[in-house]
Amino acid sequence: MAVEAVLTTTILDRIYREILYAENKLTMWKRLLLVRGAEIVVFLLLTAIPLEINNAYALGLLTLLAVYGILLIGLDVTVGYLGQINLGHTAFLGLGAYAAGLSVSYLGFGVLGALGLSLVVGLVFGGILALPALRLEGPQFALATLSFSALTVTTLNEWEGLTNGAQGLQVARPDLFGLQLNAQNFYWLCLIFLALVWLVMRNLLSSQWGRAFEALRDSPIATDAMGIGAYRHKVAGFAIGSALGGLAGGLYAFNFQYLQPQTFVYDLMIILLLGIVLGGRKSLWGAFVGASLIALLPNLLSSRIVFQTLSILGFLLAFSAGARCLVKKKTKPFQAIAPIVAMGTLVIGSLVVKNTEDWRQAIFALMLFSVVVGLPEGLMGFASHFLAQLFRLAPPSLPEASPLDTVLVNKPVDGEALLELKNLKRYFGGVKAVDGISLSIRSGQIHGLLGPNGSGKSTVVNVISGLYPPTAGEMLLHGKPLPTGSLFKVSRVGISRTFQNLQLFAELTALDNVMVAMKGVYRSVLPLVLLGLIKEEEKRAQADSLALLTLVDLKDLARSKAKDLTYGAQRFLEIARALARKPDLLILDEPAAGLAHPDVTRLVEIIKRIHQQGVSIILIEHHMDVVSELCGMVTVLDGGKIIADGSPDEVKRHPKVIEAYLGTPDDEAAKALPASDAPLLA
Amino acid sequence: MYALIVTQMVVSGVLMGLIYALIAYGFQLTYATSKSINFGQGELVMVSAFFSLTLLNVGVPYWLMVPGGMLFGALLGLVVERAGVRLALEQKSEGWILMTIILGLFAFSVAENIWGRDDRPFPTPISSNPIQIFGIHITPVEISVAIGVFALMGMIELFKRKTLLGKAFEAVSADRDAAELMGISATRTIMLSYGLSGVVAALAGILIAPITTVGPTMASALILKAFSVAVVAGLDSGFGVVVIGMTLGALESLTSFYLGSGWREAPGLILLILALAIRPMGVFGKASIRKV
Repeated sequence: MAVEAVLTTTILDRIYREILYAENKLTMWKRLLLVRGAEIVVFLLLTAIPLEINNAYALGLLTLLAVYGILLIGLDVTVGYLGQINLGHTAFLGLGAYAAGLSVSYLGFGVLGALGLSLVVGLVFGGILALPALRLEGPQFALATLSFSALTVTTLNEWEGLTNGAQGLQVARPDLFGLQLNAQNFYWLCLIFLALVWLVMRNLLSSQWGRAFEALRDSPIATDAMGIGAYRHKVAGFAIGSALGGLAGGLYAFNFQYLQPQTFVYDLMIILLLGIVLGGRKSLWGAFVGASLIALLPNLLSSRIVFQTLSILGFLLAFSAGARCLVKKKTKPFQAIAPIVAMGTLVIGSLVVKNTEDWRQAIFALMLFSVVVGLPEGLMGFASHFLAQLFRLAPPSLPEASPLDTVLVNKPVDGEALLELKNLKRYFGGVKAVDGISLSIRSGQIHGLLGPNGSGKSTVVNVISGLYPPTAGEMLLHGKPLPTGSLFKVSRVGISRTFQNLQLFAELTALDNVMVAMKGVYRSVLPLVLLGLIKEEEKRAQADSLALLTLVDLKDLARSKAKDLTYGAQRFLEIARALARKPDLLILDEPAAGLAHPDVTRLVEIIKRIHQQGVSIILIEHHMDVVSELCGMVTVLDGGKIIADGSPDEVKRHPKVIEAYLGTPDDEAAKALPASDAPLLA
Repeated sequence: MYALIVTQMVVSGVLMGLIYALIAYGFQLTYATSKSINFGQGELVMVSAFFSLTLLNVGVPYWLMVPGGMLFGALLGLVVERAGVRLALEQKSEGWILMTIILGLFAFSVAENIWGRDDRPFPTPISSNPIQIFGIHITPVEISVAIGVFALMGMIELFKRKTLLGKAFEAVSADRDAAELMGISATRTIMLSYGLSGVVAALAGILIAPITTVGPTMASALILKAFSVAVVAGLDSGFGVVVIGMTLGALESLTSFYLGSGWREAPGLILLILALAIRPMGVFGKASIRKV
């Protein structure tokens, strides 16, 4: 009887799992069909249009759409993924265009050769500009790109011997392997390039590279600390985006067959930004939609009735969305009202103004304003939420988590010194934050670092992990000197850390936060990434990351964005991310700070599990019970110096420690100390 | 004779550079309190100049027009803060860059349609007949530029140091959170800084208009150089912008003298990119320590 029951349940269980699997497969197919299907349908349609409609004007628009598509996909890398305002993209368009035009007339290049040159010119100039400019953030970066763009136009204008200056440059369109590139063939060539760029960029942006781009937008410091390399990814991202700008420039030159420096000024940049923002950032579809809009825009504005209809539609959209937000109190009143005012102005303008062409820029401005304030994710961002709900698209399924032992390989613990600090000093001006600390962290140990606020604990950790270079002193890891002053280098030799003030990649999911830091899985070179031949690695990284998320009890939240997690979960996620570096030494900087009591208990469990995997840990902590339970060895700092050293029990009784925390008995201030500080030593 | 020409070029360049310095100073005012600047400041300069011209045309006397124009600039500055900057600052994003560009674009288009695309002369009671000092020709208008720039910058610096409101301004610049805890409203201080920045821009427009004439594009070249000056000097040094502004002005007139006027824009842009490469915090700026 009992056996039968067990058998039935196993069979039922099995069937249930099969169904689940099949359903998973089904949703996966549905997703694939919808997403890839839409791409294929659009490209087929675009290819077929000229066969049906033989209209030179329409063909011109479609060609422009393809060129702008490439241009905007490139711009989206910096503006969307890297999150930097780039005002120099038109410069790369111009440089690419002139490179293509000049290489044909002076060097006798063919179409493909010239386009290749445009791409390289964009890449090289992008890299050159990025090297200095990307050390800056915010306004300085935008200004640097703006200046570069102005400088480019000046040079193109003034170097008359080469570019023919403001007179303009005629560009010939050579044949392609004997095939005459008439308007129709040229359009198909542009479309092929758009499709290639689309595929390549989809592969790149969905890979480790894309994650790294987004990570460094959210926290450059953590990007370095996780061994990803903020600066190199920034430069690479910017150079790749600029290369696409250059390629688009080459196509642009062959399309119009006439170039003038004045084409590539600030006005065009505004239109490009309009395209990106309106279409939606961080999305190939967004760039595509944006490109269609800006290619069609002149037509939409030239017909009065179309323009009036559109502005009224826009107003109604802004009004309904704004009113809903106001009633639900989802956003700030400004976000709801400002777009309504702007679109209202546009409607009034469309009815009153005689010649819309004169007001072009004001119209752009009003539209941009409404979108930036009211629809910050752009049309595609808005539509993709809607579509995902409509088709009930589940995110792609995840692989089984790897066994933890394959991710964190249990290294033999020899009890030897892992990290040695010798007379370490770090001064900030006259402040001696760390003043001659000598310390030895033995492998396989959880070493507690204690001390009152301002005692120098965090500075010690920041010096070890490479945020600050030491003023003096030596640091040895495995007996070899530790790199100093670079989070990135320190992370690469096997020290990983968490941050007291969370430095998560807020816009990435929990899973991506761990994957982006994963060490030792991604080996493929860039060309393979661009071709999308890295599925195996991706699966492996996902499985390994899931193992680490399981370790910190966050497996079920793998698909949640880091910013949407609870505070406690965010702290645990930082630990999982730090473990993805597979460190020999893990530094936990006040992991219990601000945690509720049940979370502290979980934290202790998690740290124990990590320790069981043979990871040595430096634990900075205020909670004495946590330290007592976990640490084999404790060092107490005060005023940048070590005041006590030993087991938790020894340290607790040490008179200097009691003095540092509670003051001396005849210290007036000590008596006034609130009682709540006392449990520190309970 | 040759030396005299070069000196002449340098002197008029330096005077022009003072205008860059003044506009760059306006960037510093807002950057200090909010770490943001108005990318549409050039349009603010231009629109204020047009407004002042209209005041003159309807019969307002010159010396009343000046404060009137400055008041208008302050109003525009406040509009920029409310419509373009505040939301982005609340969201701790850099959206203000795009927003202020958009507002500038709007202002440009509106000005073009209201006042027309042509450049117009800006009448002034100050003579533009050059006088000779040590063989160098300087016009009283140019001297008025120098006086105006130093007077306004001096007054604002005094205001920051000597008045309670000014000290609140400095407090928010030094540490926004701490200032808020002491009961200073950061939002109001940022409003104040944008208002002041608008005043500065308006005066720059009024001072330069008699020399450059007034037109929709009068400030587009000017503003690029002011950006350069602000970044090269460092966005937190008032003394720096004056030095760098004058240097850039001199460099420019020498460049256009030797290479032709088309290259006039080049030194500012090159200087900017060089400064960013070598000293990103600016020549007179202070490096900040990263904290985690």
